[in-house]
Amino acid sequence: MRLATLFSRIAQYAFLVFVFLFIATPMIVILVFSFDANRFPTIPWGGFSLEWHKAVLEDGMIRTSFMNSLVVAGSTAVIATFVGFAAAYIDYRYVFRGKSLMGLAVAIPPAVPASILGMAMLAFLSRVGLFGSVSAIVACHVAIASSFAMAIVRLRLRDFPPELEPAAHNLGAPPFTTLMRVVIPFCQPALIASFFLTAAVSFDEFLIAWFVGGTVETLPVRILNLLQGQVNPKINAIGTIVLAISVTLVLLAQNFIGARATQRSGTQEE
Amino acid sequence: MADAAKWQTQDAHHPLTRLWTARRTGGSPAAVPVILGAPVVFWQAVFFAAPLVFLVVITSWRVRSFKLEPAFVLDNWEKVLNSGPFQKALVYTLEVSALSAILTLAFALPAAYTIAFRLSPRLRELAIAVLVVPVFSSYLLRIYAWQIVLSPGGIINSLTRWLFDLELQLLGGQFSLQVGLLTLTLPVAVLILVLALSGVDRTLLEAAANLGCRRARVVWHVLLPSIRGAVLLAGSTAFLMSFGDYISPVFLTGSKPPTLSILIVDTVKSGSQWPRASAIGVSMLVILTLVLLTVGWLGRERRFRKGGK
Repeated sequence: MRLATLFSRIAQYAFLVFVFLFIATPMIVILVFSFDANRFPTIPWGGFSLEWHKAVLEDGMIRTSFMNSLVVAGSTAVIATFVGFAAAYIDYRYVFRGKSLMGLAVAIPPAVPASILGMAMLAFLSRVGLFGSVSAIVACHVAIASSFAMAIVRLRLRDFPPELEPAAHNLGAPPFTTLMRVVIPFCQPALIASFFLTAAVSFDEFLIAWFVGGTVETLPVRILNLLQGQVNPKINAIGTIVLAISVTLVLLAQNFIGARATQRSGTQEE
Repeated sequence: MADAAKWQTQDAHHPLTRLWTARRTGGSPAAVPVILGAPVVFWQAVFFAAPLVFLVVITSWRVRSFKLEPAFVLDNWEKVLNSGPFQKALVYTLEVSALSAILTLAFALPAAYTIAFRLSPRLRELAIAVLVVPVFSSYLLRIYAWQIVLSPGGIINSLTRWLFDLELQLLGGQFSLQVGLLTLTLPVAVLILVLALSGVDRTLLEAAANLGCRRARVVWHVLLPSIRGAVLLAGSTAFLMSFGDYISPVFLTGSKPPTLSILIVDTVKSGSQWPRASAIGVSMLVILTLVLLTVGWLGRERRFRKGGK
């Protein structure tokens, strides 16, 4: 290998490491300083302490918001996975007028800035009297999260053998039975993945929850309110918990789809 | 087996129509798409489309004694579009998101290139898995972490003070803002580009190299043109995310100067000037749509020319 090529390779790897460090730094900082005994997180480290984690567990408002978040994320995941599956299956299976419009209505919401969408949802929901409740947050989170569920299920349906449904039909299965016994079992990994991923999306969302939740706070909204006050060492401790949960959810989701999706895109390896 | 026999007897009542034309036959086959489709249409219509339509509607409403009243007036638009703070915020937000899109591409392209061409398949899969995690986890917290790192008493300043006796003003300017926005956009952009680069036909690159083309020229003349669509997609995604972001400008520049998202949130949270906030929101959506259409048109134009040769 020529010297210039060697230098270029080293530079490429070094740059990649730099980019990954940049992406990882905030997460590492949260993790490390949640165990710091100092009030204000800085260097040098003030020594190992679980004080702030304990303070978090004793904080009633944080506990309530945590429970709210669990309910919101769980309900959102179930409904969004259903909506996303239905949209993906209909898109895969049927042809009708307005189909692409339906696809767009499911796919687009995450691309609309949350500040605008949150304001729109708040204005509309307070008009129809649904504002300021856990169900309001769930309703809005489903509208965004279904997009991800649809994408995941669609990816799975691309591998669905087209002869399976006619085969089930020829064996006498009515359409609904075919759906329940052939299509849904085939999509199961994608459905599980989309359950975890939509839960992560909801668990992480704060602007819309802040707008439409009113006095009902989810955990990220609680954090947002804490952040707007004074420096609070509890934030790092909640941060580790939140980070641990959302990273786990994403990894679980990847476990059910990840390998498949990347293998396909990486097949051109010589 | 018993189940299968049961289905057959049930289905004997139905005329045997071919499955792929099932939707035309009415009755039970058409029930499935309706049962599945109705909730989808209902949910997205009520909780996504209706709020957006309502947002456009209330831009022409009036506020009387702190209450929103249906009306048809245009002075909300007039007041917003002519107001200095709005115009300043608009220009600033456009500048910030354009810069963010450029920086994102500048960092994401080389990183994606290395991931797609220099890593082993296993490492590449790991890199993709690692990149997906931050897309879905705690943006808010990660910005707070940057605040800790960059603040005057924070990690970087403690280090520079200790090493060089130097204090840096890192928080509260374009630098810290772009750091925050890159945190948001970089993982997504790298993922888009890695997926596109992995799909590039390697024989083309080898052919160019065999014909004596140097690596830099291969990248510029063969590789980049073949992923033009993905580059535009990554850039416009970065632009879109930065344009609508609320958290980075609030926590890393202290809302000075405010972006359009900050104007919206402040107007909604502090007062009853909903129609004006909606007018800002609708103008943002119009701008985003125009930008995305332009980018889409750019992508199409080039492809057409290439095909016409």
